[in-house]
Amino acid sequence: MGRYSIGFIAQRLGIFLLTIWIAASVIWLIPRLAPGDPISAMIMRMSSSGGRVENADKIIAGWKERFGLNDPLPVQYVRYMGNLLRFDFGYSLAHFPTPVADIIGLALPWTLGLLLVAVTLAFFIGNFLGAIMVWGRTPGLIRAVIPMFMIFTSIPSILAAIFLIYVFAFLLEWFPLAGSYPLGMKVELSWRFISAVIWHATLPALSVVLVNFGYWTLGMRGMMITVEGEDYIQLARAKGLKPFYVLYRYLVRNAILPQITAFAITLGSLVSGQVLVEYIFGYQGMGNIIFAAITSQDFPVIQGASFMLIVITALAVLIMDLTYPLIDPRISYERN
Amino acid sequence: MSIRSRRMKAAALPFLLATTVMSILVSCTSPTAAPEATAAPDATAAVVAPTEAGTTGTGEVAREDTVIFDIDNSSVPAPENFNPFVPGTNRNQGAHQAMWEPLFILNYETGAIQPWLGTEFTPNATQDLWTLKLREGVTWSDGVAFTADDVVFTIQMLLDDDTASLDNAANMQQWVKSVSKVDDLTIEFALNEPNPRFQLDYFSVRIWGSIMIMPKHVWEGQDPFTFTFYDQAKGWPIGTGPYKLTTASPTQFVWDRDDNWWGAKTGFHALPEPLRLAWVIAASEDQKALLMSSGQLDSAMNVSLGAFEAIQAKNPKVIAWHAGLPYAWADPCPRQLSFNLEKAPWSDVNLRKAVSLIIDRAKMIEIAYEGTSEPSRTMFVQYGGMNPVIDAIVAAGYGTQPTASVDEGKALIEAAGYTLNGAGLYEKDGQVLSVTIQVPNDTAEYTRSNNEVVEQLRSAGIDAVSQPLTGSTFGDNLATGNFEAAWNWEQCGSVNEPWNSMNSLNVSRYMPIGERASANYVRWNSEGAQAYSAIVDQIGTLPLGDPQIPGLVAEAYKYVYDEAVVIPLAQAQKLVPFDTTYWVGWPTADDNYNHPATWWNSTHQIILNLKKAGQ
Repeated sequence: MGRYSIGFIAQRLGIFLLTIWIAASVIWLIPRLAPGDPISAMIMRMSSSGGRVENADKIIAGWKERFGLNDPLPVQYVRYMGNLLRFDFGYSLAHFPTPVADIIGLALPWTLGLLLVAVTLAFFIGNFLGAIMVWGRTPGLIRAVIPMFMIFTSIPSILAAIFLIYVFAFLLEWFPLAGSYPLGMKVELSWRFISAVIWHATLPALSVVLVNFGYWTLGMRGMMITVEGEDYIQLARAKGLKPFYVLYRYLVRNAILPQITAFAITLGSLVSGQVLVEYIFGYQGMGNIIFAAITSQDFPVIQGASFMLIVITALAVLIMDLTYPLIDPRISYERN
Repeated sequence: MSIRSRRMKAAALPFLLATTVMSILVSCTSPTAAPEATAAPDATAAVVAPTEAGTTGTGEVAREDTVIFDIDNSSVPAPENFNPFVPGTNRNQGAHQAMWEPLFILNYETGAIQPWLGTEFTPNATQDLWTLKLREGVTWSDGVAFTADDVVFTIQMLLDDDTASLDNAANMQQWVKSVSKVDDLTIEFALNEPNPRFQLDYFSVRIWGSIMIMPKHVWEGQDPFTFTFYDQAKGWPIGTGPYKLTTASPTQFVWDRDDNWWGAKTGFHALPEPLRLAWVIAASEDQKALLMSSGQLDSAMNVSLGAFEAIQAKNPKVIAWHAGLPYAWADPCPRQLSFNLEKAPWSDVNLRKAVSLIIDRAKMIEIAYEGTSEPSRTMFVQYGGMNPVIDAIVAAGYGTQPTASVDEGKALIEAAGYTLNGAGLYEKDGQVLSVTIQVPNDTAEYTRSNNEVVEQLRSAGIDAVSQPLTGSTFGDNLATGNFEAAWNWEQCGSVNEPWNSMNSLNVSRYMPIGERASANYVRWNSEGAQAYSAIVDQIGTLPLGDPQIPGLVAEAYKYVYDEAVVIPLAQAQKLVPFDTTYWVGWPTADDNYNHPATWWNSTHQIILNLKKAGQ
């Protein structure tokens, strides 16, 4: 096992499962604490579009019974946990009879495709810029220019999105105003479709990158300054090692560890934090699903989507925990 | 391969593609990453890409042959659900505008009920036996004939729903004793009691939709609660309309013309000119404005005056219902203020009357609606068909004034024992006269309008507070009586006859606070309510258009007015912009073949009326 012990791995897996159980319980409870219920929300939506709904009381009673919303809360909870064990999120209440898994299955790939790449890009670009801001060999002009781009960090992603749409989609017409792919195009594995997806995803991805990279830049810059003062850096330079080698092997490798931890946690907010970006761009991802589910109090979809986020976050933290020894030779999970 | 696995595979495709190919973007900061991005795309390329059409195989469709509508949601999370009987299922993504046709369509402009799939629907002398005649030659898009069997099957399915929770099941069970086929084109509905509005209320697109008749040969044997009516391999969903579904996704629905449409074959109407219809998500007003300004959206559901003027500035070919202010069309659900009549101090009729006098409706229109609406004179929508009853009410002296009479209102409050305190608020026995007005927070119009009411009441010395709530909480509170006052549209319903709205205040629908009511949310249960309801019940038995009705309405409305049961505020408005760059023939006040609500089941009329611009 090298730097690992079975006890440690078992402990980490236990914490992983406990985290998921607690979080799953919380996401079951919170929507039920809110006033109103999904069936009333559905009637209200019908009323908004079609006026007063006759016999609404009968519709509400019938669907509450069908969805088990009249059962005592403990019964609902046990049923929910039992379903979760089978990864069965049940049916959407707002879009019955569509299973929650189908709704998430349609949206999640788009979000992962867009946001995973965008957030990863922001991470690498941000850390790279943070590192070269501290590196002595970086030209002064670059050091002066980088902070100017940081202005985007202080702009909410929704404003950045509107700005990008107005300039690049409306005025310059370089990119589409909305959507995930052109109207009527068939989803297929072809270059035409691939390029269309990229073309549509560029502005949403750019709005995420622009807003997020500055955090990584600042964090990396701070860590680099701290690490640069360490004795082993002075020693490396005294040994005559090449500057780039010192940067890559000594400075960056030691400074990046906290950044990686933060990145793992950031993955959890990957979807939830970019709801408005998807909304503004009319992008068919999880953000829009969550937005619609919250406004319609669609408990199962909220629970299913949140559960996916929890699993992603907990899994990312677990993986990071287990890979630390590989990144930093000083860390070992052996019992001794 | 199963449908689900195909769907999952298709859904996973963008992730695989994006993760493998987006890396190109890492190194490419210029738009040359995608070939299309190198040049500014023209509207045609940007909006209507060549496609391999799914069910109709129409192939490429040019922008000028396509009409693009918006869907007023953030997304359609379940785009493959076409079961119209599950309450809340999306229908206005084109399903009931392009595919499912109604039996009849109410013309808001003339008040007439126009035949569509049905040719006539007539009652017997006692209004409890209705006979429906279907149009000859109508077929479903799969070629099967549309007959009385489909109608009987659909209605029977609703009657057989023991839970009464399918859409319109409770309504059909309330009214229909039995439904039977007379011949292939004739159906008889035996009612439990007389109902002169049976055709109007359920089969004529009175507001938004109507009961959709489903094909028996597809639905028979299916569970109406869980059947999604979607299977690309089988060509589902189907309808009788001139368009068939090509693609459905959470953000776009594409429908291509069915050249075998029954209407063209029978001479009912020529094929519609648009080869393709599309409904796309345009969630924010900014997005709608940008899309319409650049010719990428032909019709938007509703925009503010500011957005409309911005669109017109960029795209002068965009029009609305009126050529100038108010631009907007009046939506059938007038806005009003309602008090819970069983909660003190607002159970005092004089305080409610004072509020009605203090509110300056004209000012509210100017500020909250930017001049795009008009003050309500009664609780009814001010359509031409409603004029006889509105005029009768106003002539009897029960109309609401557009401007405020603040001094009169204050006098009523002071007569109730209140005096102004140092903070300029009315107070009695140490209690400030306060009111919390609940309002749904779904759209800016609701909260903006309520804020103006609150502001006016505060200026007059009433400590009014706005309480925006989510739609579900708001609806729940109204139904259970958990509110002091509410900005709402609960008397919405009547559009060419008065009974529907009036019956929503019927004392028979009274429920005590804490129990769920299906109407009469204000908990009106006084002697006046009894007298009012007796007259409303009498109106309910009279045929549509009976000359006695206006007089009886005025007689009943006296009780509503005297007890300030409803405080009418403003007519609702929908500013629906249409782009005439590619298509003309949109409904306007000057070309008013019907109203402009493109999210309604009546949109079939609009689509058939569209002509290519420049012809």
